[in-house]
Amino acid sequence: MNTLLIIFGKLIVRILQLFKRNAGNLPGIILWHLTRGKCCKMFKVDCPIIAVTGTNGKTSVTNCIAQLFEKSGKNIIINKEGNNLDTGICSMLLKYCDISGKVNADYLILETDESHVPVVYSQLKLETLVVLNFFRDQLDRNGEMETLIQKINGFCKTFNGNLILNGDDPNTARLGLANPHNKNVKYFHAERYKFATDSIFEASEGRFCPFCKNTLEYEYYQYSHIGKFVCSKCGFGNYKPYITASNIDLEKPVFTADGHRYSPKLNSIYNIYNMTAVAGAAKLYGIKQEITDRVISGYTVKNGRMENFMLGDRKTTLNLAKNPVGANMTLRVMNEMQGEKELLFVLNDNIADGLDVSWIWDINFSIFERVTRVITSGTRAYDIAVRIKCSGYNPENIVVLPELDKAVAELARTEGRKFVIANYTAVQPTRSALKRYISRKGGNHE
Amino acid sequence: MNKLKILHMYSDMLDLYGDSGNMEILKYRCKMRGIECEIGKYSINSAMPDFTSFDLIYLGGGADLEQQHIAEDLHKCRQGIAKAYKRGVFLFLICGGYQLFGKYYKDADGNKMDGLGLFDYYTVAEPDRRKRCIGNIIVRTEFTGKTVDIVGFENHGGQTKNVKNPLGSVICGHGNCTKSTHEGYFEKNVIATYMHGPCLAKNPEISDYIISYCLSTKAGENIKLTPLDDSLEKKCRQVMVDRLTNK
Repeated sequence: MNTLLIIFGKLIVRILQLFKRNAGNLPGIILWHLTRGKCCKMFKVDCPIIAVTGTNGKTSVTNCIAQLFEKSGKNIIINKEGNNLDTGICSMLLKYCDISGKVNADYLILETDESHVPVVYSQLKLETLVVLNFFRDQLDRNGEMETLIQKINGFCKTFNGNLILNGDDPNTARLGLANPHNKNVKYFHAERYKFATDSIFEASEGRFCPFCKNTLEYEYYQYSHIGKFVCSKCGFGNYKPYITASNIDLEKPVFTADGHRYSPKLNSIYNIYNMTAVAGAAKLYGIKQEITDRVISGYTVKNGRMENFMLGDRKTTLNLAKNPVGANMTLRVMNEMQGEKELLFVLNDNIADGLDVSWIWDINFSIFERVTRVITSGTRAYDIAVRIKCSGYNPENIVVLPELDKAVAELARTEGRKFVIANYTAVQPTRSALKRYISRKGGNHE
Repeated sequence: MNKLKILHMYSDMLDLYGDSGNMEILKYRCKMRGIECEIGKYSINSAMPDFTSFDLIYLGGGADLEQQHIAEDLHKCRQGIAKAYKRGVFLFLICGGYQLFGKYYKDADGNKMDGLGLFDYYTVAEPDRRKRCIGNIIVRTEFTGKTVDIVGFENHGGQTKNVKNPLGSVICGHGNCTKSTHEGYFEKNVIATYMHGPCLAKNPEISDYIISYCLSTKAGENIKLTPLDDSLEKKCRQVMVDRLTNK
């Protein structure tokens, strides 16, 4: 029966490829129905599986961990961005397995959607789970934050493998206490950086101790609710870090972890957290220092995540913001940069964005510094315009152009530094519009 | 005299779908007219405030877990809030806040939580957690004296019943119950609704009704507000109405 399913699945993949269709998810969906929801169970995976989950940074960390093993000469399998649900993972494994369902590799490195961790790893044996952070993201699709954390917490109760957790996020750190018998819980932590604050700066969750409901005390907040916290009542937050990022200087950018100095390419505090998680995984698997160095210093992204374009001679940085935390980070990077600048904000409300756009009200626009003009675009261009206006920004400097090509042309019309923020389904159309502008009017794309 | 005093209750726990944005909008609309706006906060373990000293009491929505935490604390405030309400203090309640002011709330597991009982309605959560009322909603209202179609975003499992005086009739969306005809609850000094978005973002008429009611009550005479340029807000609402009604 298993073999039949696999052959059938492989056939669907072939047919889709023959017609040049994306075989990223559909074969998995068909098999999901045929197996009554257990589409990952038919594979035989003998090698270790490392999974990465969390709201922000999954793709980056998964890619970096994959590179650690690849550069060490290992044969690895990794899922591509977006295919991080059980059906996506199933579709991917169909391509690599033999007809008995056996998957041949040294390691499987799998980006996994937060809500699918228990689903996938009740079917496949997991060796290491890396959990980066939990933020509000597409709430109406996933249900409430707490439900999501409870799901993963339930999984962790019987999990005895390695847990690499962000020790500065109470929502993830609590998972380390789910199974008191698990001796393989490891926390990563980052010391205070220059722009850390003493009080909370942006709307967030996790202000209360999940164990005794006491208000958590913070020594500092790095961004959102990420920072050094402790519960004075039950001691939650008192742990010994497995790896700590210190001497963080984002202007260079550099940081030190385990006595070693790293020079990453991306200069945001959340990238430092991601890279600390990567260094933690490298330490756990005994990766050679020279390889970890190469991965961390070489990592950059070209997917609308702090991606640079030249619109003619206007330097433009595009960043994806799926949620307030991502958007607030971009605003901070904008503010930390000298000189005047203009912002294009592209907001869509397609199904994958979660239909609801009220998260934009959790973005702290009142910190705008030297932003001379704002252009808004996307299917909810007016919503973001109203939001920015109500933060106190002069509405005369807001231009609403729902059509992307017009918005990009308007952005490029004036001189100076440009920033673009786009949400999930807006980011690829925005990249295309920027590239179209460049091909017509000149400039370049790094 | 030209001052609006707001008490924002449980702002650290009841803040779903941009609900705190309502406070930012009221503050903005006051500022543009030179009206001072002071927002006080109350949460679990705060000292008991004098509720009658405020012009407006505001509660947002929250997840079930947070709602349980605050229900107990809210009961301690019952007397103070009831007194304020009777004296004409405005109550602006969103989602969870709306539910907690009714008779009771029964969650998806059947646990019953007593509400403040200020109003006759009660709420029973849909037992199937996946069946929620989710989406953009248009509600036709008359409370400002004119017909205004207001637009928001609803996301609730709770089915609120026995609502004697709804805020408006549903043109598109669910409202108080799954596919119901009416949405929210209204009295001259009460607006209770499931609308997030936040509720006031696209509906300047509601903001101005609240501000004008509060200032007029305090002054003992009808206060007329300086009109503001709401073209962005109205265009924003129109885009959604056109989309929902397939124009």
